[in-house]
Amino acid sequence: MGEATTGTTETTATAGFDAALAGRRAECDGGGPIAGTRWAGRQDFAGTLTGDFVDHGDPPWRWYLLVELTLKPASYEHDAVWCESGNLFVMDRPSS
Amino acid sequence: MAKDPLRTKLCDMLGIEFPVIAFTHCKDVAVAVINAGGFAVLGEAMHTPDAIAADIKWIRDRVDGKPFGIDLVLPASVPPTGSLDELSAKIPEEHRAFARHIKEKYDVPDPKGPIALHQWGGLNQAMARKQLDVLLEERVPVIASGLGSPAFILDTAHERGIKVFGLVGKKRQAKRQIEAGVDAIIAQGFDAAGHTGDVGTFSIVPDVASIAGDTPVIAAGGVTTGRHLAAALCLGASGVWTGTLWLACRESDVDMIIKERLLAAEADDTSWSDCISGMTMRVLKCPWTEEWAGPDAPRVLPAPYQMLLSSDYIQGANDNRRADLMTEASGQGVGFVTSMKPARQILFDLVEETLAAFEEITGELG
Repeated sequence: MGEATTGTTETTATAGFDAALAGRRAECDGGGPIAGTRWAGRQDFAGTLTGDFVDHGDPPWRWYLLVELTLKPASYEHDAVWCESGNLFVMDRPSS
Repeated sequence: MAKDPLRTKLCDMLGIEFPVIAFTHCKDVAVAVINAGGFAVLGEAMHTPDAIAADIKWIRDRVDGKPFGIDLVLPASVPPTGSLDELSAKIPEEHRAFARHIKEKYDVPDPKGPIALHQWGGLNQAMARKQLDVLLEERVPVIASGLGSPAFILDTAHERGIKVFGLVGKKRQAKRQIEAGVDAIIAQGFDAAGHTGDVGTFSIVPDVASIAGDTPVIAAGGVTTGRHLAAALCLGASGVWTGTLWLACRESDVDMIIKERLLAAEADDTSWSDCISGMTMRVLKCPWTEEWAGPDAPRVLPAPYQMLLSSDYIQGANDNRRADLMTEASGQGVGFVTSMKPARQILFDLVEETLAAFEEITGELG
């Protein structure tokens, strides 16, 4: 695991890898606050987990990296998204 | 003796008289509702940790030990992002031209000051994390998470005597949070203001109630009358989460222009669109939402690019108080918000309407 700080703040972020999740299909009921406003919005994603995760702060707030997106908002241009673990749903069974 | 239908397990859990939660960004509204026997949750998503701490003290000084809640919009997904300058540079000229077209067509004035979006660093997880730490340190009675799952702080919160509510738009989100141990689950339907799922309130509330067990379910989305509250209780909810209901009340700090628009608005005066931020949300229709819904509009940009594009319009409209341009998050129940009353009166009217609705039903049955 590597340790880093998140951009402009001193909040600690610790990177890690979960091999059991690597390659698994997952859906993310995503979204978030809209910067500069008091509003928020929702966004749905589906794709493949790389197994990479980042824990923010203590207690750890875990985020997984979802790539090869098969579902994303029509306007979403990125190829990847970080998904909060509580809003992430693994859709297939682990390979034996 | 018949059971009081308004005495629910949510009332017992929070020690409140009426199962009504006011979600508001205005401290005065929150305090008025709390002191009238309801419960209030103050939305603090845009505030710095220091401002949140100050607001908590302000409320505590005025509610005589009664409980209250603070809501944060915890993100649920975060795209890879760069600096604001890098992001702005990626906005296509086609979209810039369309924004300029709207600005010229409606004579949208320039913002009077720096655009708030450019002053706030909340484009990643770090800001929410710091906000959350303040709520834990302050031991607020209730932490509500308006979007992302709060499961990761449950143990820490419970150790400090803090209750945690999660707001969901899908049954599977509710199941996940209930299994994690949230103290109440807010089932939010499509009718709601701001960010919503695509399932209607009438469908999601009983769906979530069917799996909630002893966890109180709170119905959200389109609740603005006693009939809505009565219906929510019949659907299996233990209370209601209301937002639009309080926007135009006397104590509310919402601009009077918006209050007047809310009082005049009907359900179909709201728009569920991603054209403001790149993420779907329900707001009052305005020229910006109408133009982006037109056949000549380019495809909406992803967040945060669309917000960078719309922020000049939004802030120009607000700074210059242009009634024809301004917008606000509003639910479909806005059609029932027709007069500017004190928050206390709104709560009491809601309770009386609910009891009248139940009496109407039982009277007919009898």
